[in-house]
Amino acid sequence: MPVESATRAVRTGLVAFAFLAYLIFIGVPGKIGGSALPVLALISALFIWLALRRESAALSGTAVDPGPGAYQKKPGWEIGPRDTSDASPFVDHLPFSVVTGFVLKGVLAGCTTGLLIAVLSGVSATAMGNGVSIQPVFDKIVPVNVAALIGVSPGQIAQAEVPLLRFVLQVLFFAGAGLLAALVAAAARSSQSQAEQLARLTTRLSGPTTVNVARYAGVALPFLLLAYIAWLGLPGVSVFGSNEGTIRLLITLIATGSGLFALRLSLPGRERTVVGVLLGLGVLAMPFILDQFQNSVMGLVFIFVMMGLGLNIVVGYAGLLDLGYVAFFAIGAYTYAFLSAPFSSPYVSSLLLLLGVAPESPLLGYWMALPVAMLTAAAGGILLGIPVLRMRGDYLAIVTLGFGEIIRLFMLNLGELTNGPRGILEISQPALFGLSPSSVTFGLLSSQGWIFLLALVSSALVAFVAIRLNDSRLGRAWFAMQEDEDVAEATGVHLVRTKLLAFAIGATFAGMAGQLYAARQINIFPENFSLFVSIDALALIIVGGIGSPAGIVLGALALKGLPEVLRGVDEYRIVTFAALLVIMMIVRPAGILPSARRRIQINDPNEMGPDSKIVSDGEAEVVQTAGVAKNAANGQEEAM
Amino acid sequence: MTALLSVQRVTKVFGGLTAVDGVDLDIEERSITSLIGPNGAGKTTLFNCLTGLHRPEVGEILFSGSSLIGLRPDEITDRGVARTYQNIRLFGRMTALENVLVGQHLRLEASHWSAVLRTARQQSEERAARELARDLLDFVGLSGREGVVSTNLPYGDQRLLEVARALGSRPRLLLLDEPAAGMNPSETDRMMDLVHRLRDEKGITVFLIEHDMKVVMSISESVAVLDYGEKIAEGTPEEVRANARVVEAYLGPEVEVQEATESASH
Amino acid sequence: MTSSPATVQAAGTEGRTSLRQFTRVLGAVILLFVIWRVTTVGLSEGYPASFWISQALNGLVLGGVYALVALGYTLVYGILFMINFAHGEVMMIGGITGYFALQFAQARGWMEGPWAVVVVALLLIMFIGMAASVLIGVTLERLAYRPLRQAPRLVPLISAIGASLFLQYSVLLIFGVSPHSYRKPALISGGLRLGDVFIPYTGAIIFVTSILLMLALYFIIQRTKLGRAMRAVAEDRSTASLMGVDVNAVIVVTFMLGSALAGAAGVMLGFHNTVVKFNSGFLPGLKAFTAAVLGGIGNIPGAMFGALLLGLIEAIGPSALGIPTEYKDVIAFSLLVLILIFRPTGLFGEVLSEKKA
Repeated sequence: MPVESATRAVRTGLVAFAFLAYLIFIGVPGKIGGSALPVLALISALFIWLALRRESAALSGTAVDPGPGAYQKKPGWEIGPRDTSDASPFVDHLPFSVVTGFVLKGVLAGCTTGLLIAVLSGVSATAMGNGVSIQPVFDKIVPVNVAALIGVSPGQIAQAEVPLLRFVLQVLFFAGAGLLAALVAAAARSSQSQAEQLARLTTRLSGPTTVNVARYAGVALPFLLLAYIAWLGLPGVSVFGSNEGTIRLLITLIATGSGLFALRLSLPGRERTVVGVLLGLGVLAMPFILDQFQNSVMGLVFIFVMMGLGLNIVVGYAGLLDLGYVAFFAIGAYTYAFLSAPFSSPYVSSLLLLLGVAPESPLLGYWMALPVAMLTAAAGGILLGIPVLRMRGDYLAIVTLGFGEIIRLFMLNLGELTNGPRGILEISQPALFGLSPSSVTFGLLSSQGWIFLLALVSSALVAFVAIRLNDSRLGRAWFAMQEDEDVAEATGVHLVRTKLLAFAIGATFAGMAGQLYAARQINIFPENFSLFVSIDALALIIVGGIGSPAGIVLGALALKGLPEVLRGVDEYRIVTFAALLVIMMIVRPAGILPSARRRIQINDPNEMGPDSKIVSDGEAEVVQTAGVAKNAANGQEEAM
Repeated sequence: MTALLSVQRVTKVFGGLTAVDGVDLDIEERSITSLIGPNGAGKTTLFNCLTGLHRPEVGEILFSGSSLIGLRPDEITDRGVARTYQNIRLFGRMTALENVLVGQHLRLEASHWSAVLRTARQQSEERAARELARDLLDFVGLSGREGVVSTNLPYGDQRLLEVARALGSRPRLLLLDEPAAGMNPSETDRMMDLVHRLRDEKGITVFLIEHDMKVVMSISESVAVLDYGEKIAEGTPEEVRANARVVEAYLGPEVEVQEATESASH
Repeated sequence: MTSSPATVQAAGTEGRTSLRQFTRVLGAVILLFVIWRVTTVGLSEGYPASFWISQALNGLVLGGVYALVALGYTLVYGILFMINFAHGEVMMIGGITGYFALQFAQARGWMEGPWAVVVVALLLIMFIGMAASVLIGVTLERLAYRPLRQAPRLVPLISAIGASLFLQYSVLLIFGVSPHSYRKPALISGGLRLGDVFIPYTGAIIFVTSILLMLALYFIIQRTKLGRAMRAVAEDRSTASLMGVDVNAVIVVTFMLGSALAGAAGVMLGFHNTVVKFNSGFLPGLKAFTAAVLGGIGNIPGAMFGALLLGLIEAIGPSALGIPTEYKDVIAFSLLVLILIFRPTGLFGEVLSEKKA
């Protein structure tokens, strides 16, 4: 038994080391600088704590709650037994030996990690110090990263002047982290039942009041934040000097996101309507109070909200995994570019000359081009949809991915039509009745603010249409098709029509988004439409919650907005998202703000009363989130 | 009186295996007919041919006078043929009510535009659909269960829900694939009662596959027997029970051989 | 079993007559177009026969590499019914590791030594690349796929996409954007000239090595106890486990085999294309998947022949159709789409098609 737990501790240390080594190799310590060692030690402490927590739960016969989204709780997705409710309660006080065991294990794990890290940095430093150039790779890692890890300057390494004490310090640091993790784990375990009792007592004594106060605080938070943003925009107010712009952007993102949670916190009925309307007004005011940069980021976020909503129809509602979604985005953008940019491309110009139109003036304005872009994208959706009608699941994903690449290759190589990599320049801006928007709003609205406002309104519109459709017989047909295609067809769902409608509507939304994107960018190039647009759109609906419009907004805020705030670590963006995709699939496949349908399966079946309250209010709050449908909630409730 | 459903020389071949071999069958309007036969006799394949999942190589299927051959499953459902499945195939993550609403898909006509705009007509149609769905759930005995996600329903209730979903398309002919399989005696009684009420109250013709001979003999007006894809007998329950070939097919001298070939063909 | 859901689903597409007619018309149009292009443009350009032969040989070499990668897709699909989207990246890791091993060997001067030393060093480089790929492949299975084995099919696919991106961009962060170029040792940098046809040594070596590796794989699967266990798991996972087969172990071994082949392919592709970088696994991966589908996914000989065929089409296609070579990727993707439309089970049939849905 001791040997076994020792190996387990060493293994934990190894896993932590593997992760830390990865961080070192991608250059994280160099970014953090002087405090790299404590940060890495804390990360390893986190690993050790997680492992010990699981172990302690196993000891007392309680499985750690895998979180609301884990598979164990989903009826129908698993084969094995899933009931873990017969857990015995935690013990009140731990015998001394158990705590000692915990500490030993934690320190052992920490020492393992620390030793390995010390060896890694020691080997690198020695090699550097001896002037050995192992590989360009290691040359890149060693000077900055290892220096940050050992806590010396790169010069000292180059001179081979690193004292041995530095490496001992590393081991001590990680051992300390292990000790800390062990103590925390042991403490949490012994006090579990007391904490539980205390929590129960507080809720019994002051239950409704506390909950209500917390709820009001939650609902009020976004408004406070909105007010703060507005205040920050006043002349003469600045925070942290030059970083003010980024700070305000961050608060804007948080305010919008917490607004979604506030809606969920508010009670259905009048309260929710009021909160929704106020929040909607607050968000609508944002384009007027933010500056050009903040507006351009928020505009991009909401363009991606439109994309996400469209892709959600295809993936979330109809269950067709489309990885070539960027194609429709590109079609929308290029259609608008052809229609509105002067001398957009040789082919279009000669065509216009042939028709007797001057190629230097835009053919159609933004509003006239909108239906054209939408229709072109929809046609693209149908054209792509027809050949893949019979494909299922993963085949569909790969083929649509291929389509996306084909479109990109065509954009690059059809120089006569698309100008190839040189792109299309000077795309005209959307105007209001022939006037520039700033003249209408007396200069309150910057050009990017106008784009942001348009993106807001369009995504609200798109969300409205998506939610209404999903709530109709079409939405039911989509969902039925997703559940069982053959049975859906035998029940009377016209598969071809239903699938093509999903593709076409999804593509239309992407076309709208693409047009707005082209207007935002002014100049567009094929590399704006790489596979990563598809991946971003997919990632944001998955992280936010498939099938849930509120989740999509949240996902877009997190995935497209946050990286702009954290400019310094932008290079880690894709890696983080990619890891997030995998982790979300394992830990919480339903997303952060799951849709009502997905939440049903998470809830205990016994909680589902015959009146299906959860369904109706879940759907209703989703409707409200868009800030459009006021009577939708009532319609929902009487309908269910 | 012409038959509601007329199956003529229907043959379906999978690779080298003839699953259904020249079957002729007539089903009268408002009758209850059973299809029986040993495992692997081709009963479900025949159902699949009737509902358009398979296209028979040879033969004709006439439903109230017009051919069903070559129609898509949803078109056949539109003509008035609905079915349930041997291994229950509900839309698992939908509630009971939603399952029945999908069943009504074909009978709802409001355009998708009207769904976006929530026109009065679309709203009243939706209300009526929900009303009907609730009625159908009541009819099969699932009142008060409409909000339950279908995978959370007990097994017997899932079978009833499949019937309710099939009724959503307002069929004239209902195909039930082993409706009483895996049910306990009281659930079986409920199902038999339901089959009777389907015919008596709703005027629906019922054609069912069943293994439970007690059920078959007590509810059906006529029985057809398939063995190795061929129809070997047809008639009233009494006639079929007395038929020597049927007895042989079920108990026959070569029980073991037959089982062996069956498992080989799987 | 006539009543199994599998049969029902397999037959589900049967009744859609109008769609079938549509695809037939589409097929005829595409066929006519191809014939028209080939006869009017491709053949009239008047390339000499030697041109076509060298193109074809080139295609066979590429096909051999694709085959190794395609086998990984097919093996995993045969057992888990999932597309290991990150397989191209597993190959790329092999290539990158091989590059560093090659650098190491060159720094030691082994590449200029006597031919026996060079051959041993080259073999070692390939083994190191294979080992790195195996490590990554097994880790991938353990971390990204195993927790999701019971999940709906889209879930592991999304996880695989995430893993693929993660691997690509980790390599980008660690090794940088710039491509790393393989320097061929003098021993294999020449070639053989037969009349007008030039056969580079690397090409010949790659082709022969990939054939040998494929034979080895075929032997493992058909003749060993391990292979029998793999086939049993592919047939029916739960029954196999009831019969005492350790399913987890078999799945790990499957990933190891597939990854080892991919690692070898990565190293060889490095020698063939002379460069590797973070995204150099993506396109070959996608094409190898196309090859696997072309031959019928889950079908091992099918994957080999599909890959050789794809290599040939890609090498000859652009000249034969008279279109710029930039479109050779378009040809590969179009081929994938066309196969899935007209013959979703591939040219040689998907061995386990019933379990697909």
